[in-house]
Amino acid sequence: MAIFDTKTLTDIILVALAGGIIGLDRTAAGQFMFSQPIVAGPLTGWMLGDATTGLIIGIVLELIWVMDIPVGTFVPADSTILAVWATAVAVLGSAGREPLPVIGFSLLLTVALIPATMRADGFIRKWNSRLAAAAEPTPGEHAGRRLSRAHLSGIAVFFLKSFVLYLVLLPLGLIAAHLFSGLPMRFQGSMSLFVKLLPLLGIASVVRRLSIKTADGFLLIGFVTAATIGLALRAGFLLVMLVAATATWVGVKYREGRS
Amino acid sequence: MIQASWSFDRMQTLGFAYAMLPALRRLYPNGDELTSRINLHLEYFNTQPYLASFILGAAVRLEEGRASGRNRDADVRGMKAALMAALGALGDSFFWGALKPFAVAAAVAVFLAGLWWAPLVFLVIYNIWHVGLRVWLLFLGYESGGDAVSLVAAFNFTKLARNLKIMSLSLLGGILGMLPLWRAEFRLPVPVAGPFAIAVGGLAATLGMVLLLRAGGTPAKLMFGLAVVCVVLAFLGAV
Repeated sequence: MAIFDTKTLTDIILVALAGGIIGLDRTAAGQFMFSQPIVAGPLTGWMLGDATTGLIIGIVLELIWVMDIPVGTFVPADSTILAVWATAVAVLGSAGREPLPVIGFSLLLTVALIPATMRADGFIRKWNSRLAAAAEPTPGEHAGRRLSRAHLSGIAVFFLKSFVLYLVLLPLGLIAAHLFSGLPMRFQGSMSLFVKLLPLLGIASVVRRLSIKTADGFLLIGFVTAATIGLALRAGFLLVMLVAATATWVGVKYREGRS
Repeated sequence: MIQASWSFDRMQTLGFAYAMLPALRRLYPNGDELTSRINLHLEYFNTQPYLASFILGAAVRLEEGRASGRNRDADVRGMKAALMAALGALGDSFFWGALKPFAVAAAVAVFLAGLWWAPLVFLVIYNIWHVGLRVWLLFLGYESGGDAVSLVAAFNFTKLARNLKIMSLSLLGGILGMLPLWRAEFRLPVPVAGPFAIAVGGLAATLGMVLLLRAGGTPAKLMFGLAVVCVVLAFLGAV
């Protein structure tokens, strides 16, 4: 079977266009969080006909990268590109097979993508330095026109960065997924297990940044509450979460009242 | 769109000047004065993008006073310089460090319970705060003329950030406690162990990874290491 038929090539271009637009929300425009993996993943999956795969990938990547924060000049890994790319590779690369192993494999491949996305982002931000010189008003020209032109052209630059990266990286990902499908079944099984364990790594990444303690008291309170009510009393998942959150909130208020 | 032309050396400078343009054009119909005011706003600027609206509102107020002659000595440059670093730190720790992980924790709980609308939960929780504060801060900045005390008095970012972090930790603990009941794709293949053993095992594995991250590991390195462990387990016949 050919990896790149007309439909796949069309899908790659569509994903590159949509990914470029979604990526603008990350830095250049809005920041309404449509670019976060938890939204960008399912959006891409839905566009390609498999929103669930996008949701699984989005949730996992969101947990892992949510605390990678853009402070000052630090440029974090572009989790939008990781989510859109991994979803497209998993959906287009699974081709009717069991999706979980391909999902795991595409998530593993995102590790290799991180330096590329960070370098591309760094390059664009250096390139944008030229816009400042182009923005300064000159006598005789309609004031502000140069500024508007220079500033808004930054949007096109950010879009082009993502668009080009998708066009280059998506075919490579699909070739990798094709090669993966020829590996022994044990590899496929290992990638399914990988997907199941990744949320634990994601939770660990968040806990590590939210608390200075490894075994934080509030984490343990939530755990014990859920294990007691959810596993012993068989209460519903969301009800358990609500009880855990409410108990913590009451505890916080009580502590505030005492201090 | 304050970050549309974000660069390492000028950061949000162009974005702030661009956001000021409509007000400056209205206040300074004279071309030369307008050019001079645009140049002033093309000096270095960087803060948390949402809290920039407070500084924006304040800058418009000061420019208004200056243009009308009520306050010719209004120090817009000084106000921007004084507020941008402080609001940057405040906004980063509240929005990126507390609100976002809380919205994610709530959405992940919804997803692992088997419901598809987790992304909507995330967007609603985050944007109610984000959009609400962005609009409100613009007006507060305008009314107060950049008085940071009024901002801190009206909204205790630090306290709310701390409480949201606590809630996030509790939710994540709850999610780990419900590990045996996660949606099918994430249910661990451990048929012999009971639900409590699986939950405790999940908690122990998570805390082990927290330790590795504290010891200098990165999420990328741990992802790779986890994949190696999974492949080894698969070849040992454990999967």
